[in-house]
Amino acid sequence: MATIAAPSLASAEDAYAENSGIWSWITTTDHKRIGTLYLWTALFFFLVGGLEAVLIRTQLAKPNMGFVSAETYNQLFTMHGTTMVFLAIMPLSAAFFNYLIPLQIGARDVAFPRLNAFSYWVFLFGGIFITVPILFQVAPNGGWFGYAPLTTNQFSAGPNIDFWVLGLQILGISSLAAAFNFITTIINLRAPGMTLMRMPMFTWMSFVVQFLLVLAFPPITIALFFLLMDRFFGTTFYEIAAGADPLLWQHLFWVFGHPEVYILILPAFGLVSEVLPTFSKKPLFGYNVMVYSGIMIGTLGFGVWAHHMFAVGMGPVADSIFSMMTMLIAIPTGVKIFNWIATMWSGEIRFTVPMKFAIALIAMFTIGGISGVMHSSPPADLQQTDTYFIVAHFHYVLFGGSIMGIFAGIYHYYPKMTGRFLNESAGNWHFWLNFIGFNLTFFPMHFSGMLGMPRRIYTYDAGQGWDLFNMLSTVGTYILVVSTSIFVVNFLRSRTRGLKAGNDPWGAGTLEWSIPSPPPDYNFAQIPEVTSRYPLWDLKDPAKTAGIAHSHADSATITDAHAVPVHEETERHTAKSLGIPMPFPTSKPFFTALAMVSMFSGLLFRRSGHDSIALTVVVGGALLFVSGLYSWLTSPLE
Amino acid sequence: MSKLRLRHAAPALLVAVFLLALTACGTEYPNSTFNRHTDFNTSIDALWDRLLFWGTIVFVFVEAALVVTLIKYRKRAGGPEAKQIHGNAALEITWTAIPAVILVLIAVPTVKTIFETQAPAPAGALKVEVIGHQWWWEFHYPELGITTANELYLPVGRTASFELKTKDVLHSFWIPQMGGKRDLITNKSNFMWFTPNADLQSSVWNGFCTEYCGTSHANMKIRLYTVQPDEFASWAAHQAKPAVYPAAEPATPATPATPAIPAARGAQPTPAPVEDVGYMFPTADLPDHVIPKTPTPAGLTYDDALLAQGDPTAGQLGFMIGGCIGCHAINGLPGAVSTIGPDLTHIASRHTIAAGLFPNDGPHLARWIKNARLMKPGILMNTIGRGQYDPLLKITQEAGLDDKQIADVVAYLQKLK
Amino acid sequence: MSSHAAAAHGAHGAGHDDGHAHHHYTTTGLEHRKIAIWAFIGSECMLFASLISTYLIYKGRSIVGPFPHTEWVNEAGVVFKPILNIPVTSASTFVLLMSSLAMVLALQAVQLKDTPLPDGANWWTRAQRSSQGWLLMTALLGMTFLGFQAFEFASFVHEGLTIKTNLFGSTFYTLTGFHGAHVTAGVLWLFTLLFIDRKRGLGPKDELIVDIAALYWHFVDVVWIAIFTLVYLIQ
Repeated sequence: MATIAAPSLASAEDAYAENSGIWSWITTTDHKRIGTLYLWTALFFFLVGGLEAVLIRTQLAKPNMGFVSAETYNQLFTMHGTTMVFLAIMPLSAAFFNYLIPLQIGARDVAFPRLNAFSYWVFLFGGIFITVPILFQVAPNGGWFGYAPLTTNQFSAGPNIDFWVLGLQILGISSLAAAFNFITTIINLRAPGMTLMRMPMFTWMSFVVQFLLVLAFPPITIALFFLLMDRFFGTTFYEIAAGADPLLWQHLFWVFGHPEVYILILPAFGLVSEVLPTFSKKPLFGYNVMVYSGIMIGTLGFGVWAHHMFAVGMGPVADSIFSMMTMLIAIPTGVKIFNWIATMWSGEIRFTVPMKFAIALIAMFTIGGISGVMHSSPPADLQQTDTYFIVAHFHYVLFGGSIMGIFAGIYHYYPKMTGRFLNESAGNWHFWLNFIGFNLTFFPMHFSGMLGMPRRIYTYDAGQGWDLFNMLSTVGTYILVVSTSIFVVNFLRSRTRGLKAGNDPWGAGTLEWSIPSPPPDYNFAQIPEVTSRYPLWDLKDPAKTAGIAHSHADSATITDAHAVPVHEETERHTAKSLGIPMPFPTSKPFFTALAMVSMFSGLLFRRSGHDSIALTVVVGGALLFVSGLYSWLTSPLE
Repeated sequence: MSKLRLRHAAPALLVAVFLLALTACGTEYPNSTFNRHTDFNTSIDALWDRLLFWGTIVFVFVEAALVVTLIKYRKRAGGPEAKQIHGNAALEITWTAIPAVILVLIAVPTVKTIFETQAPAPAGALKVEVIGHQWWWEFHYPELGITTANELYLPVGRTASFELKTKDVLHSFWIPQMGGKRDLITNKSNFMWFTPNADLQSSVWNGFCTEYCGTSHANMKIRLYTVQPDEFASWAAHQAKPAVYPAAEPATPATPATPAIPAARGAQPTPAPVEDVGYMFPTADLPDHVIPKTPTPAGLTYDDALLAQGDPTAGQLGFMIGGCIGCHAINGLPGAVSTIGPDLTHIASRHTIAAGLFPNDGPHLARWIKNARLMKPGILMNTIGRGQYDPLLKITQEAGLDDKQIADVVAYLQKLK
Repeated sequence: MSSHAAAAHGAHGAGHDDGHAHHHYTTTGLEHRKIAIWAFIGSECMLFASLISTYLIYKGRSIVGPFPHTEWVNEAGVVFKPILNIPVTSASTFVLLMSSLAMVLALQAVQLKDTPLPDGANWWTRAQRSSQGWLLMTALLGMTFLGFQAFEFASFVHEGLTIKTNLFGSTFYTLTGFHGAHVTAGVLWLFTLLFIDRKRGLGPKDELIVDIAALYWHFVDVVWIAIFTLVYLIQ
């Protein structure tokens, strides 16, 4: 019981033996394995998006370069944005939602394990669907924002935009299904005693994100549906000749697009809120305010979309309102920054790799936040919007924020996921080269932008005063290539060669660290009764949590769940030996997802003029999808 | 060891980047947004200064607090143990309130500037209609009866009031040295105005399309000439006239040089001799940054020696039989009225072609006519050169003009001063 | 070890005392699906809000007719009447509202399935227990509504308005079509419940699955009220 001895490891391998082989991955309903799938897939797409960025920066290294053609460049920048937003950062966050939320709230799985598998497969097929065209030079080329009327048949007659419309529609379904699942999981599967205000901050921020997903995706679903109807069925939503208003697309897109920014950043905020207390040996400073500021950011995020549209001529009143709403968001965001610093203040800071990434998030996101306030002012924004200043800004937010936070999360949770540490020295190389390369790439863009360089241009003329900054950015990008390569090798090698990690390698305070690494399929042999925000510190180092509110065990809940006091589980069993019913493996979500994606892709035949094939595939796909759903819903879960 | 070096190198490198950027401020930046050349940009730059001031203070404060915390509370042997503090309401209220105050200090001038810069243009403003096309700019001066393309003249000291429209997709009109940008929205008119400072010397500025508009978005540039009022008046008076070739018919009544188009002379009530050239920004004074350096495609060859033999009269005919009039208007050439492509009435008075992509000289013009789609990706203009491969339609142009005929057309166009 | 296992099993298998075989412990005591359906409905609200906003933004922007509330004469001099038929749609709206009532009664019938009928119950009390009857009636009323919609679409096309004609056509058909698709999905769902009811009988233990179907159905109904008001009634 007390040690992780060899026999229990052997049994761990036994437990995983029946879980090997590709079929076991296709049929898995285990949130941890699905989280792992998300992680690997998203990291792959992250590398794809990174490669696209390298090609972009190579083309822009010097004026009038002919490294790629205009058309290729336009596909590259469109796919770089689309890939990083929808196929890298969102699913990297989803990997953590999947892996961590049930562990953090003391649950054995998510509320709907099969729906979870379905979300992943839809994401994978959608990702492949939208990425593969670039190999054939027919990738989407309308920008990740796809402004009408450029995306209509009149101006984009090829299949490029079709892949984008259908691909995003597919990916949206994946995100929505996952969001319903996690909302239910967080509301309904918390261990006894884990009130909302005791949830770990990552779970809290994820909770906010799920609501953003649920409310923000419908507008873009509709906007895309209009475009789909225009492109395939001749409707007039974005038709110039019919009198359409192109701002309709912009409003619907940004009603989604701005909350999307918080969908991308809040999970990273959550991750660093786990990392910082752990390596400062202190609880998070101002937990309540951190929760409220997260909710505030999410809520205000729905009221600021038109700040992406200050140049469209909305009039002074609308400009002023959206400007002030945008400035308001700086307040809760600033609070988060200060509270993180205060978390470290008077702590014992250990500079581990995850901690370095978390600190980098604070330092870099601050810069992105400040430049964000600079373009919340519409007149100033008129000089900044659609220039490289904006590119600098959102890379400080999304790379300096989201990606840094996600790397912090990967280094922090890798031991939990694999039972081994990532190599520390390689991690340090990764961190410092990443930090230098990132700043060298994106800091000069502030200058090229304010000195007049527009965005989304495949080339620029010599003598415009931008040469130096562009060269610096390109050099920075190559440094990022080196740092990312180090990470990839480290990530792959450490699975088998990393130092072994126990249950709680970092001395953290939340529930996921009370069980073996990697966690057994059932997660918790006994559901712990939680009495404070840091149950494991309550157990191991009560002094740390002495100052925060505790409750005594609520007997009513305990009886309900047969929960036991918080404890460490060091032995590894199988769900079967413990008699814990686990969801059956099933391939139904996989095939249902496949049917749904074929249904969408059938429309492509309409572009090539094969209407009857299109009809067959769409109707056939729909029928298979519905029968898949019926067969899935009528078979028992466990 | 290596770890240590790397860690120490990082801040040094960062500082280097910042310093580089700062020293860079000394050199010339032809598209800088920081110069107060107009009333519009004066307002914006004042706001920017305030944003930069507060941004710098916040940046320095936050990063300093972070660094101090990291140094002071790093774990070290014999160091103090972590103090278990969970929050502090007073502190948290403070760092909610201080940013709020700073934001008010930004918001008030912001709103003031919004209403100032978006007020109706002052009376007496020069009206200019800007119409975006994939990928070039059409400019009208409705009060002056001028239509031109890609190059814009404005008098200093007088407000220019722009009405912005687009024929196709969205574009955005931006001349960084003059102030902010404004989008060109389909099925809508947008407005913007600014006044080049009265004490501004006659100068040239670059402008750009800043809303992604398809393949050649990068190649949709503007040249703005802010000139003295008398220079503008001379330019405008000339631009408003038709450009007729051959010119000055009363002087040489005999031997009509262009028997092919006798109607050309008869149709014009007041033919203006094209040699009577109005003001044009002197080529010798052009600063380096407005002279395009776009390389011509390697595969597109043209024997420049032919240009010397160009016959403008034959070229005028070639302009019609070569299909040019299908898209281009020339006020003064009967039948050339199409508005699909840029108006070429006074094309020889412009310094650039192809929306600022190439200098307006014989070799570039000839190559452009020969195979424009090789020189500017995706564009509507056909490949005219006989035997040329059209990269968009992926076919070889069997008809079209040969190199000598192209030289003639070039010669004709160069007469349209 | 064995106590471990027993406790673990207990933790998982423990439920409320109502004898549900698959009733797991939940934090709120509510079933997962009940929470999920509310999240789903929240999302659907945004979906229809986007559709309805688009309709309203494009209202009056169509360049050519037919128009919803005004007459239109085309170049050839052909006169097009205002196209919306409010009396007919009021009837279909009433049908859909009645279907919601039937749905309420269906749920009640399922809940009361195991409660013995009081002595001397009249026909209405007995009818109230017929879950199959009420489910069928809800589905039939839903189908009637769809029939009205099919008739409406057909007559609009006949009068010269297709989804391609103008902005009004595109927004109108898409909005009402989306709603119609939701009703269709609901009818399929109701028939599925009816099938289960016939096969094994729905009782109080199945309250949840009927309840979430009812929530969905009422939501679709409420959306129609918004559409009817904003599209048909307000000129």
